[in-house]
Amino acid sequence: MPWELDNDRPIYLQLMERIRHDIISGVYRPGDKIPSVRDLALDAAVNPNTMQKALAELERSGLLYSQRTSGRYITDDEKLLRKMKMELASEHIHQFFEQMHHLGFSDDETLEMILETLRREQNGNDS
Amino acid sequence: METILECRDLTKKYGSKYALYNLNLSLERGQIVGLLGPNGSGKTTLIKLANALLRPTSGQILINGTEPGVETKRIVSYLPDRNYLGKHMRVNEAMTYYNTFYDNFNLERASQMMDSLDIDPRSRLSSLSKGTLEKVQLILVMSREADLYILDEPIGGVDPAARDYILQTILTNYNENATVLISTHLISDIENVLDRAVFLQEGQLVLNASVDEIRSQHGKSVDTLFREVFKC
Amino acid sequence: MLGKLIKFDLKYGIKIFILLHGILIVLSVLGRFLFMDRLSFDDPNAALVSNVALFASAMLFLLIAVCFCTWLIITFRFYRNLFTGEGYLSWTLPASGVQHLWAKIISGCIWYALDCFIMAGCILLLVTGNNVTEAYSHIAPEFNTELGMSLSRFALLLFLIMLASCPLTVIQTYFCIVIGQIFPAHRILGAVAAYFISNFVIQILSFALQIGTGFFPEYILVGQSGSSDQVGMYLFSMIGYSILMMIVIAAAQYAVTHYIMKKKINLL
Repeated sequence: MPWELDNDRPIYLQLMERIRHDIISGVYRPGDKIPSVRDLALDAAVNPNTMQKALAELERSGLLYSQRTSGRYITDDEKLLRKMKMELASEHIHQFFEQMHHLGFSDDETLEMILETLRREQNGNDS
Repeated sequence: METILECRDLTKKYGSKYALYNLNLSLERGQIVGLLGPNGSGKTTLIKLANALLRPTSGQILINGTEPGVETKRIVSYLPDRNYLGKHMRVNEAMTYYNTFYDNFNLERASQMMDSLDIDPRSRLSSLSKGTLEKVQLILVMSREADLYILDEPIGGVDPAARDYILQTILTNYNENATVLISTHLISDIENVLDRAVFLQEGQLVLNASVDEIRSQHGKSVDTLFREVFKC
Repeated sequence: MLGKLIKFDLKYGIKIFILLHGILIVLSVLGRFLFMDRLSFDDPNAALVSNVALFASAMLFLLIAVCFCTWLIITFRFYRNLFTGEGYLSWTLPASGVQHLWAKIISGCIWYALDCFIMAGCILLLVTGNNVTEAYSHIAPEFNTELGMSLSRFALLLFLIMLASCPLTVIQTYFCIVIGQIFPAHRILGAVAAYFISNFVIQILSFALQIGTGFFPEYILVGQSGSSDQVGMYLFSMIGYSILMMIVIAAAQYAVTHYIMKKKINLL
């Protein structure tokens, strides 16, 4: 199944995002070996060179490290992973608030709606 | 990076009409290149010149530094845009044919790929559906360990499933030292597998850039850019 | 490379070749045992003559048809394999145009030569029954003086000439097809035109040759009236000259074909 990719942004950026997301969300565990460039490229149905570039960029950011002979591994630096996770989370939150602004809700209204939604879901689960 | 294909002022005339005019182009090893352009822009002419099926009117085309000839035919694997296998042949006869003439043909790999598609090696090419025949031809071409693969419209006229299979086959079989040149006008389908896009228009080079360069510079896909450049 | 190319060229036509010549052989065997062997030449009558004439023309037609089909196999292989869709594969094999040309010349000659041998064998089979040889022995002396040699020697010479003309025909055919390729819009028409024009040139040349060497056709009449020359001798010196001329022409045609195959082929 080819990965869903947007048309208008560089492919390697989207590959980076997708892999970073998979790492942070636990599809790959810290210290795991990740599949080879070729396999990942085939899986995503993209050019291997582009995948190579994405992985190299992730390596530069410290999320991956490569062992000369045996391939690439996910970092086991839990602090870094935690930091990335927080960054990603706050990015999502920012985007969410921005969209709510577009719809004309203030931050307070938005917050109130979030709490309301949570309360309703909890009640639903209880009953 | 080493150059695998180079055109220097390459010109080809049919009668009084120019199919290619003073084309200068250089492609390096290790990439997948899309040769894009509307019908009649000179894509097939360029491909035929690279395969010595046509002779340049003037200028030069060089494959790995030599003019197309017996030596370059050893290292170029070519998929024409039409049925090029005798209809009387059987699938296994076609494989034998390739195996006889090309030192770099990997018979085992080809047989495996035919098996995985459930193609009976005894069946005649004339009995295969259009899509299956295109797959058979692609398997033959991609089973050669070549330095330059030239695929003329490999995904034209096949259904989306066959298209995915064809792209997968290209990605699985090419090696880092080889270059794949794919001509097509169906860009959105293959955009993600390309390193580089070369646009031709009326026999001349309009654009030669990497796909990610195009996307970050123009903020749009190669397909969208293509539609803008070649707007009727 | 040349060997591989020839192998596949021969493989291409083998089924239809065997089929055609199988039919020819079977019909010849039947003709010999069911027709020829039953003839009696002891009391020649009108019915016998017309029967033999009918049978001979039927066989002649069959031989010409088989020969023509062999020519078609050779022609189609050359045209299809190099100048249609298949050409896209043939011309991208690691072989040169000249290698392709030679592979086709050699395979074409092999087909033609085999065809000649089989046809000669069939004719021999048809005319070597005891009744025929017996009947011929009565008129042999007369025939021999007329021909200037024995009939078997005459037949052998004819056969050798036929064999020698194989490569010439093959080269001329390829020459015409290749000339046709120079006219991208009218390839077949070009080939047919090349055929007629080259034949016309050959006619003119042989006419000139006949005059030049003094073998003008009126001599044949003199020969038949039994005065000086014998028919066989006349024929063979005539054919000898024209073979010589054909060899020169074939060499020229080969040179042109070679050049075009090497430099000028554009597959569209």
